Amino acid sequence: MSAPAVDLRQITKQFPGVLANDEVDLTVERGSVHALLGENGAGKTTLMNVLYGLYKPTSGTVVVDGQERTFDSPRDAIDAGIGMIHQHFMLVEPMTVTQNVVLGNEPRKWGGLAVDRERARQDVAILAERYGFDVDPTATVEDLSVGEQQRIEILKALYRGADTLILDEPTAVLTPQEVGELFDVFDELTDAGKTIIFISHKLSEVTTAADEVTVLRDGKDVGTVDADSVTGTELAEMMVGREVLFETDKAPVQPGEITLAARNLVVDDDRGVRAVDGIDLRIAEGEVFGIAGVDGNGQSELVDALTGMRTPASGRVYLRDEEVTDAPRRKRIDDGMAYIPEDRQSRGLVMPYDLTENGLLGSQRDTEFATSGRIRWDDAEAHAEAIVEEYDVRPADTEATAHSLSGGNQQKFIVGREFARDPDAVVAAHPTRGVDVGSVEFIHDRLLDLRSEGAAVLLVSSKLDEVRSLSDRLGVMHDGELVEVVDPEKVTEEELGLLMAGEKPPNVPQMPRRIRGGEE
Amino acid sequence: MNTDRIPDPLAGLMGRLVDASAGERLVVSVAALFTAILVGGVVTLVAGVFATCSNPSLGIFCYNPFAVYRYLFLAPLYDPFVFQETLKNSALLLFTGLAVAVSFRAGLFNIGTQGQLVLGALAAALVAVWVGRAVPSGPIGGVLIAGVAMLAGAVVGGIYAAIPGALKAYADANEVITTIMLNFIASDVAFFLVSAYFQKPGSGSVETRDVPASAMFGPELALAMAILLVLAVTYILWGTAFGYDLRTAGIQPDAADYGGVDAKRMIVTSMTLSGAIGGLGGAVWVLMSVGRWVNGVPALGFDGITVSVLASNNPLGVLFAGPLFGSMQAGSLSIDFQLGVPRQLVGVIRGLVILLVAMPEFFRTLGVRWGMGGGR
Repeated sequence: MSAPAVDLRQITKQFPGVLANDEVDLTVERGSVHALLGENGAGKTTLMNVLYGLYKPTSGTVVVDGQERTFDSPRDAIDAGIGMIHQHFMLVEPMTVTQNVVLGNEPRKWGGLAVDRERARQDVAILAERYGFDVDPTATVEDLSVGEQQRIEILKALYRGADTLILDEPTAVLTPQEVGELFDVFDELTDAGKTIIFISHKLSEVTTAADEVTVLRDGKDVGTVDADSVTGTELAEMMVGREVLFETDKAPVQPGEITLAARNLVVDDDRGVRAVDGIDLRIAEGEVFGIAGVDGNGQSELVDALTGMRTPASGRVYLRDEEVTDAPRRKRIDDGMAYIPEDRQSRGLVMPYDLTENGLLGSQRDTEFATSGRIRWDDAEAHAEAIVEEYDVRPADTEATAHSLSGGNQQKFIVGREFARDPDAVVAAHPTRGVDVGSVEFIHDRLLDLRSEGAAVLLVSSKLDEVRSLSDRLGVMHDGELVEVVDPEKVTEEELGLLMAGEKPPNVPQMPRRIRGGEE
Repeated sequence: MNTDRIPDPLAGLMGRLVDASAGERLVVSVAALFTAILVGGVVTLVAGVFATCSNPSLGIFCYNPFAVYRYLFLAPLYDPFVFQETLKNSALLLFTGLAVAVSFRAGLFNIGTQGQLVLGALAAALVAVWVGRAVPSGPIGGVLIAGVAMLAGAVVGGIYAAIPGALKAYADANEVITTIMLNFIASDVAFFLVSAYFQKPGSGSVETRDVPASAMFGPELALAMAILLVLAVTYILWGTAFGYDLRTAGIQPDAADYGGVDAKRMIVTSMTLSGAIGGLGGAVWVLMSVGRWVNGVPALGFDGITVSVLASNNPLGVLFAGPLFGSMQAGSLSIDFQLGVPRQLVGVIRGLVILLVAMPEFFRTLGVRWGMGGGR
C-alpha cells in the first residue's frame, strides 16, 4: 500500500488566547473522500489552513505523499499538490471560465510575452472533459450558478496540479440538487486517483459522501471512523460530546390573535423582476408558519417586504392590527419584530464592530441601552455578554470583532440578539444555516419557547427537516407564489419536493391558508 | 475582500501591522518620519546640485538640508511670527480635518469642505459686519457678534453640504463629483456676490468690509475651540446612538438599514454636520486671520483631506495631524525667503513626510477592513 496522500501528525496550533488545534492526527488515504466533521469553532478550518500553508503549526508535522513538508505559504502547498476551495469563491466574476482557471498560471507564447488564449481554452476544455465537468470554457463566471462556480474553483485547483483537494464547507452554498452533483464530482475525481478532504458539520452529507470521517471537538481529534458503518447519532455524539435529540419536542399551543399578516403582497427584486406575486399570509400568536421552497423563488423578497427592508410593489403588510407596509424598519423593530436575516455578513452584523457594538444593532436607541441618545456602554456590554453566554458563542469575548468569528458563531450571535428582543413577531430566514448540530438544537428549542410565549413566527428555510419539525403550518413557495399550505406532520418529503418543483401532487394534506377571520 | 490575491510578503506585513500594539505603531510612525527626513534630505542635496546660487553653503550643494529641516520643524519654537502662523494653521486645519474625517466616518467622501468653508466664511463676514452696526462695540458686543457670525458660518456651510448629500441620497449622484463641482460654484458665487453687492468701497481687491475689531479673536482661543469641537465630535461618534448610526451607515449601509437607520437621511445629516464644521472653519478664518472675506481663500478645505487621511480619519488623530501639517506649512513660508530654497521643493519634502507617515496607518486600516492579522 502506498503512502497516505496526507498525514498530519500531532498538529497543534496556538493562537493568542485560543488553542485551535490540540495534537490532532489526520491520515487520508490516496483516492479516498475524507470528511472533517465538527461543530463551529472546533478547529476544522484551522487544521486545513495548516495543511494549505496559510498557518504555520505551533508544533507537529505535515507529511504529504510520504514526505515531510514545511509550507511557508499556499504556494508551497500548491507545489506539493494540495489545492483548497474556500467557502467563499475567489473568482473574477466578469472574466470567462478559462481566464479564471488559468489565472496566475497562464500558458504563454511569443517567448512569454503574451498569453496563449487558444491553448488556455483547449487546456481547460480537456481538463473539464477528463473529469466529466459540463462547463463552457468561454462562459462568463457571473452568468454561472453557484454550483457551476464551485466546479470552476475545483478546475482551478486541478489546473494548478492539485492531487489532494480541500473543500471548506462545500455544500453550505448549494441547493440539494447541486449537492448531489457535487458528490458525483467527488466520485469522478477519486476514480481518477485524486484525494478529497471536505469540511462539514452536516451528518447526512458526511455519511453519504465520505469514505472516512475524522471528528474534531474543541480543537482535539475525537477519532476517525468508517463512514459506512457509523450512524448519524454516533457521529453527533462524537461532535457534541453528549447525546443529541433530533426530535424537537413541540408542545401544542393554541394560536391566538393574528400578529403578522400580508395581503396580496407583490414584490419586485433588485432588477425590477416580479419575485413575489400576490401572497396572502396570516400568522397567529403562538404559531410557526414555515416556508419551504427552492432558493430564489421569492422567499428573500417576501422576507424583505415583511421586515421593511424593501418596499412592496403592491399589497399590504400588517403587524398586529396596524398596517406597516410603508413604515420604516425602525417602527417594526420598536413594535416587537425580530428578524434573522439570510445574509449575516452584510446585514446581520457590522463586521468590523466588536460583539458589544453588534449586540446594539437595532436597539441603539432603546432605553435599555441609551439615555436620551447617549449609549450606556456598560449595559451594552453586559447584553452582549449574556448573548455570548447563553448561545455559546466562541470565542466568548465581547471585544472580538464579528470578522474574527466563524460563520456559525456569527449566526448564533445574531439569533441570540434577535431572540433577546422578546419579540411578538419573528421573521427567521435560514436561522440555523452554517450552525453546528448542538447549536441547531438549542436555536430550535428557543424558537419554540418564543412560540409558547405567544410570538408569531415566520420560518423560511431550505432545510426540509427543519421546516417540517418546527412548523405548525407549512407553505410551499414556487415562482413567487404560495402554491400550497400543507400539514407538516402529514406531508411526505416526496410531496414537498414535487410542490417545490411546481408540480401539483394529488391528495396533499392541505391546511387552511387563513386561520380564523380577523379584520384587516 | 479576497485577501488571497495579495502577494504573501505584503499580506504578512499587513497582518503584522494589524496586530501591532499602540507602542509599536508609534515606533513605526517615528521611524517613518525619520525615513522621510532622510529621503527628503537627499532630495534637497541633489536638487541643490542643479540650482544656481551665489554662495554654496556646502561645496557644490546649494541647499543645506539641515537648515531646511531646522526651519521646517523648529522655526515655530524660536520665531514668534512662525509660531503665530503655526497656531493659526493648526486651528484652521483642525476644523477642516475634522470636517473631512466626519464625512469619511459616514462612508462619504466630502471633497467639498473647501466650498463649504468659502461660503461659511462669507456668511460669517457679512453677518459680523451687519450685526456690528447694530451692536455697541466692547467685549460683550464682540462676543455676541463673533457668536452669531460663527453660527451663520456653520449654518451656511451645513446647508451647502446638504445639497450634495441630498443629491446622493435621493438621486444617487456620486458625492465626490458633486462636491468638487460645488467647490467651483462656491468660489465663483462668493466672488460675484462680493464684487456686485458687498464690495468694500475704495478697495482694489474683491473683499468685504472689515468685521468689527471687537469680534476678532486670537489663535489661542481658536485652537481651544477647535480642540473642544474635536472632543465633542469624538464623543458624539462613539458615545451616542446618532454616532452609532452614522458609523454603521459608513461601514455597512445594509447593516444600518437592518438596524433601523434611515440610510438616506443619514447621508444628508452627516454631510450637513461635516459642512457645518467646515463652515465654522471658514468663520474662524475670517474672525481670526483676515478680519474680512477676501477673494483667494487658502486651500484649507483640501488640506483638511490630507490631515484627515494622515489621521486615519480618526478625530483624535486629527489633533496630532493638524498641528504637524500646520507647523510644516508655517515653517515652509520662511524657508522660501530665508534660505532661498524654492517653495516647491519644500512642498516635496512635506509631501514625503505625509506620504510615509500615512502609509503604515493606511495599510493597517485596509488590513483591518479585510480581516487580516490575528496571529498569523
